[in-house]
Amino acid sequence: MSEPLKLAIIGAGRMGITHYSIANAHSHAAIAAVADPSLLITTMLGKYAKIATYKDYKGLLKNEALDGVLVCTPPAFNPEILQAVLERRIATFCEKPYVLDAAAGARFAKEFDAAGIVNQVGYVNRWNDMFTKAKALVDDGLLGAPLRFRSEMFSPTIIRDAGEAGWRAAHANGGGAVFEMASHAIDLIAYFFGAPSRVGGTSLSKVYSKQVEDIVSTSLFYDTGAHAGLSGTMYVNWSDASFRKPTNKFEVFGQAGKLLVDQHGMKVHLAQPSERHGLKEGWNQFYITDVASNVPFYVRGIEYTAQLYDFIDAVRAQKAGRTKPVRCTFADAAANLKVIEQLFADDAAQRTKGRDQGVAA
Amino acid sequence: MSAYAHPIDRPIDRPIDRPIDRIVFGDNQFFGINHMSQDKAQERAERFASLDNVMAVYDHAIEAGIEAIMLNSNDRARSICDAFRADPARYGHLRWYPSIPYPHKYAAMVNDKGMVGAVQEILFNKGAKSALGKMVRGASAVATLDAVKLMKMLIDEEMAIYDGLDVRCVFLQNIITDLMLGYDVPDPFVAYCEYIRERYGAWPGLITQNLPFLRAKLREWGVEGVVICASINKIGYLMSPGVAEYEADLAANDGAAYPVMAMSTLASGAVPPVEAYDYINRLNIQSIVFGASSPGNIRQTVSLINAAPKAQEAAE
Repeated sequence: MSEPLKLAIIGAGRMGITHYSIANAHSHAAIAAVADPSLLITTMLGKYAKIATYKDYKGLLKNEALDGVLVCTPPAFNPEILQAVLERRIATFCEKPYVLDAAAGARFAKEFDAAGIVNQVGYVNRWNDMFTKAKALVDDGLLGAPLRFRSEMFSPTIIRDAGEAGWRAAHANGGGAVFEMASHAIDLIAYFFGAPSRVGGTSLSKVYSKQVEDIVSTSLFYDTGAHAGLSGTMYVNWSDASFRKPTNKFEVFGQAGKLLVDQHGMKVHLAQPSERHGLKEGWNQFYITDVASNVPFYVRGIEYTAQLYDFIDAVRAQKAGRTKPVRCTFADAAANLKVIEQLFADDAAQRTKGRDQGVAA
Repeated sequence: MSAYAHPIDRPIDRPIDRPIDRIVFGDNQFFGINHMSQDKAQERAERFASLDNVMAVYDHAIEAGIEAIMLNSNDRARSICDAFRADPARYGHLRWYPSIPYPHKYAAMVNDKGMVGAVQEILFNKGAKSALGKMVRGASAVATLDAVKLMKMLIDEEMAIYDGLDVRCVFLQNIITDLMLGYDVPDPFVAYCEYIRERYGAWPGLITQNLPFLRAKLREWGVEGVVICASINKIGYLMSPGVAEYEADLAANDGAAYPVMAMSTLASGAVPPVEAYDYINRLNIQSIVFGASSPGNIRQTVSLINAAPKAQEAAE
C-alpha cells in the first residue's frame, strides 16, 4: 500500500476544522500540519492531535514536505499564500471565493495549470447529489434548450447588528453577501451553463451591515456560445431569518419543461412524458433519498466529503502518473470572480445613473 | 450564563447499568426539520410554535406507551423541560435522552464574531465570576488550557436545563461526534464518556452518521459502555459508508457494550412504516428513536416496533 498523502491546513477556522476531519479520515491521507494565527487553536491541536503547528503559512511551507494544502484563510490573504504554494508546486484545495480579484484569479489558474499542479476550489454545491442530478437532466435536454434560469440563495447569516468585528464586515477582506453567498449562486449558474457574458440591473442592499451588502440581485445574460440567448436572474439574501440554514434554489425553464431544485429536492414539470428518463407529463417529484449517494465518511453533508475526496483522488492519481480532472478548478472560480466584478461595476453604474437622472430632473 | 444553578456536588445515586429503552420518542417533528419538504417543515414549525401543541403530542405518545424521550438542546428545549418538571405526577416516570450541545448557539456566535471571536466569547466573556472565566484568566491560560476541563464545564452548562429529570443517556450530537472522529484523537471521547457516567449517572451516547467507523475507533481506544445512535434504514440513507457495512457491523456488535439506537428509520419518509420496521426489527438493534406528530402515526409505530420479534429471538 502507498504512503498516505501528507496534507496541511492553512487557516483553521470553521471550514478548516471541518476539512481537517474529513481529509484526515480518508484511508490514503492524513493531516500533518496546521497553520493558524490563533494560539488557542494551534495549542489545542498540538496537544491533542499531536501534529506540527505554525502561526502562519511561511513556517509551514518551509518545514513540511507536503503532497497537498487546504487553503481556508479569509480570501484577502490568499494571493500571497497561493504564490508561495505555487513556487513549491504543491497541489491546492482553496476555499471559495478563492481570491478577491478576477485578474489575480485568472493568473493563478493559468500558472497552476501550466505547472501541472492539481487545483480545486470549494464550491461545494457542485458535489450535491440533487444539483448534480438536475444538471445531468438539463444537459440531457430534458427541458429542451434552456431559455431562462433563476438562482437564489437564502441564509440567516447576518440577522442582527453584530457591529463591525471580524473579517466579514469589509469587502477588502472578502466580506459581504456577494463574496460569501452570491458567489455560490453564481457558481451554480456557471456549473449548469458556464460563465455568463454580462450582467445588468444589479442592486445591492444593506439590512444590518454598515460597509457591505446583505442582499444582492441581478440579471445575467449569455450573448455567445452554446447557450447564446439564455438569460436569468439571481437573488441572494443572507439576512433572511426565515431560513434555518443556507439554502440554494435553482430554477431552469425551457420549451419542454421546467425544473426547480434545491439541496434537498427537485420538481420537474414536463409538457410531454419522457420515457427515457422515466418521467411523466406534468409534475414529477424527486426526493433527496431518491438520489443520495454515500460517502466513506460523513461530517457536514455528503457533498463536503465528496469534494475533498475528489481532490485527494486527483492528487493520488497525479502521484501515480495519471490525470484525474476535478469538478471545480481555479479557472472556474476565476470566472465567477469576473461575474462578481461585473456585479459591483454594474451596481456602481446604476447608482451613478440614478443620481444623474435625479439631478437632471 | 445559564439561569439554572447546577448542584455540582449532588451525589450520584443512579446506577448506570439500567437498560436503555427499546422505544424512544424524538423531537425533530417539532422543530421544522423535514429533509423531504421545506413546506411541510414550515407548516410544522408554525403548528409547534405553541408549547400546548407540543405537549399535546407528548401526551398522545405517552398514551401510546412511550416512556422515554430524546430531546435536542435548542431554544425550545428549556420550556419543554419546564412543562415536564411542572407535573411530576403525570410525567415523573419518564426517562430522558438529551442530545447536546445546541450547535446553533455556537454557529450564531461564529457568524457574529468569527471563529476566534466566538471562542473568546465562550472562554473569556462569561463574566469574571463564572467558572469558565476563572479558569482561563491569566496570561498563561491559553498555553495551559485544559480542554477536558473546559468540555466538562460546557456539558454542565448544556445539561442545566435537564436538571431534575431522570436522564438515562446523554448524547453528543453527530456534528460534534463525527467532526471529532475524523481527528482520530481518543482523549475527548474517553473524557466525555467518563464524565457522563460519573457526573450524571447516565449512559454516554454518541450520535453518528458513521457507525462502523465510530465503533471500530471506540474498540481501538478501549471505550465501551456507549450508546451509539445512528441513521439506520433499508435504503442506506445517511449511512456512511453504506448499508451493507452497517448490516455486517450490527450483526457483529455486542449490544451490551455498544447498545445501538436506530434513528431515521423511515429515511425521511422514503420507506413506508411497515416495511421500515420489518427491516429494523430483523437487525441486532437495541433501541429505536422515532418522531411523529399524529396520534395514529405514533400508535402505529409503537405497535410495529413491539409486534415484530426481536433480533435475538429471530436468530434462535
